[in-house]
Amino acid sequence: MGKKKFIDKKKSATFQLLARDSSDPNYSDSPGSDRVFVRVDNNPVSFDTVFDEDNNCYNDCQYDNEDSIFADAPNDNGDSGDDYDRVLGSSSRMVVNDKGALPENVRKEILELGFPDDGYNYLIHLREIRNTGGGSAFYHNPKFKPDQLPHDVKAYDASRVQISNSKGNYNEKSIYSVASNTLNARMNKVFDPEVAALLDDSDLSRFGSDIEDLEEDFIVRANTGEEGEGDESGKKLNFVEEFEFIDASVKNADTKSGNQEIANEVRNYQGEEKPRSRRLLDEQFDILELKEYGSDDDDDDCEGYMAEEEEFLADKLKNVLNENDMDDLEHDDVYKAPADLLHGSKSPKSKELTADIMRRCAEYAENYENESEDEKVMVVQESSDESEQFDCESIISTYSTLDNHPGKIEAPGVTRKKKLAETVSGALSAKSQVISLRGKEKLPLDFLPNSRKATAEKVKIAGSIIPEQHKRKQHGQETKEEKKERKLAVKKERSEARKMKKAMKELYRSETQQAQKVAAISGPSAIRLM
Amino acid sequence: MTYAPMKPTKPGYEEPHEQIRKIRITLCSKNVKNLEKVCSDLIQAAKAKAIRVKGPVRIPTKVLRITRKAPCGEGTNTWDIYELRIHKRLIDLYSTPDVVKQVTSITMEPGVQVEVTIVDV
Repeated sequence: MGKKKFIDKKKSATFQLLARDSSDPNYSDSPGSDRVFVRVDNNPVSFDTVFDEDNNCYNDCQYDNEDSIFADAPNDNGDSGDDYDRVLGSSSRMVVNDKGALPENVRKEILELGFPDDGYNYLIHLREIRNTGGGSAFYHNPKFKPDQLPHDVKAYDASRVQISNSKGNYNEKSIYSVASNTLNARMNKVFDPEVAALLDDSDLSRFGSDIEDLEEDFIVRANTGEEGEGDESGKKLNFVEEFEFIDASVKNADTKSGNQEIANEVRNYQGEEKPRSRRLLDEQFDILELKEYGSDDDDDDCEGYMAEEEEFLADKLKNVLNENDMDDLEHDDVYKAPADLLHGSKSPKSKELTADIMRRCAEYAENYENESEDEKVMVVQESSDESEQFDCESIISTYSTLDNHPGKIEAPGVTRKKKLAETVSGALSAKSQVISLRGKEKLPLDFLPNSRKATAEKVKIAGSIIPEQHKRKQHGQETKEEKKERKLAVKKERSEARKMKKAMKELYRSETQQAQKVAAISGPSAIRLM
Repeated sequence: MTYAPMKPTKPGYEEPHEQIRKIRITLCSKNVKNLEKVCSDLIQAAKAKAIRVKGPVRIPTKVLRITRKAPCGEGTNTWDIYELRIHKRLIDLYSTPDVVKQVTSITMEPGVQVEVTIVDV
């Protein structure tokens, strides 16, 4: 039965009706525009004008057919075009009309961007420029303070370097002597006003110059070439800070002419050396710099200069310290008591020292011991207060089992509960309040296990509260409340027992610790207490 | 009825937007009540616009079943069956796309999925 299909799926476009994103500018709450048709199939069928709300494709289509009823309002290039593009865009990319050329609007776009019109859709390789920067956007970091030095950098104001002109004998060390005689004022803010102005300057028009065409080695030329060029004059010689700072600012500035301006300044500072007459010291300095650092970089020579100065200071310090005898007491990683040193070393001076040290140690020890005796007395008083509150259990626990072999004192067992009432009353009435020690070993017989009376007494003394024991009813004849009560009572008992046990345990432990401390000092180490 | 193929727009080119096409609206849903309501609304709207409509074709509903062992009880007869029913309706129209847009923009119930297929003829 040849049935003609209503719709041939392969030649048709399928759209789904979906809710429109509420951030879409075309969104409104009316049923007409809170939904949008989105194409879901990938057939090579062109349906650019079907269900088109805005004109298709890309935003800056200027050649819109304003005449079409599907075209946007003249100013409406809304984002729904983008949303729609992402779905439809793919289809327009895949759309190829019969001749195999790209759609006209796409071609026009490509041509506008400067790509050749060779039938290849270059737009698939392009993306819209949004404000995400792509790694090259400028991020204004409020914490960046360019005028503050980083903490690991030290800058000194060497503007008052006094290089005396009259001294005739120049030798290798003259640099160091010069450096040591200067007052080095440590600087925190190293900022040149012109550079500050450059950085703060948000108007970059000064930097933009399209005609600028620098040679490849413009920096070198700038350094070696013209002297005294530039606007600034009469600067102080702030070597370190300027060059460091220029380094930093060179990194920041990313335009050629920015570099050139800074290069100008670099030239200036170097050019200013020339007006001062060149002395032997200058030559020596240059030779030294070359020798040590071997390159012509600006930052290097200043850092080298600073490092040398610090070296010299370090040496000076060392010499000062050498006056002391600390070196004689070098231990060489071997523990030596002063007495050993006394016997080991030969020099009389160190012998005196060590003897003196030993004497002083003895004095201190005496003082310390004297002091501690007083404290000990106080401690003893405190503990005696507590001891008045001992009860018999804790007293017994202070005895170690070396001396004392107590029997385990037990609570009355379950089986005894029936007769407990009788025994309690019996014990109360029969016994006096004193525990009697009987037998050869003088033990409190009543309280040992297997003694009914003892357990009753013990229970009373320990202070545990035994709730009134009802005669236990037959199984199944207990009411719910009674059952609950009974169970609750049992639980309480058990929790109390647990607490007591824990307290006992802690007490035992602390006592053994104390005993151990004592034993550590006095007793032989063979005896272990814990 | 043949018409000239649609070309992407060129400036100054007047496109025939009155073209009548075959349009199939497919409605899917899990609950019948909403689906039937949407269906009837669409057909009413279409008829109000005097479009040729082919009434709701009811595709047999698909029942997706999952059977599992019930957590309670032992034995053979302790199973749970969960099912999901999918109902599908088709509505065919002969009209222009913009009219269809108006028609479909009128009502919607939650849970009803609408798909529109247009034949390029």
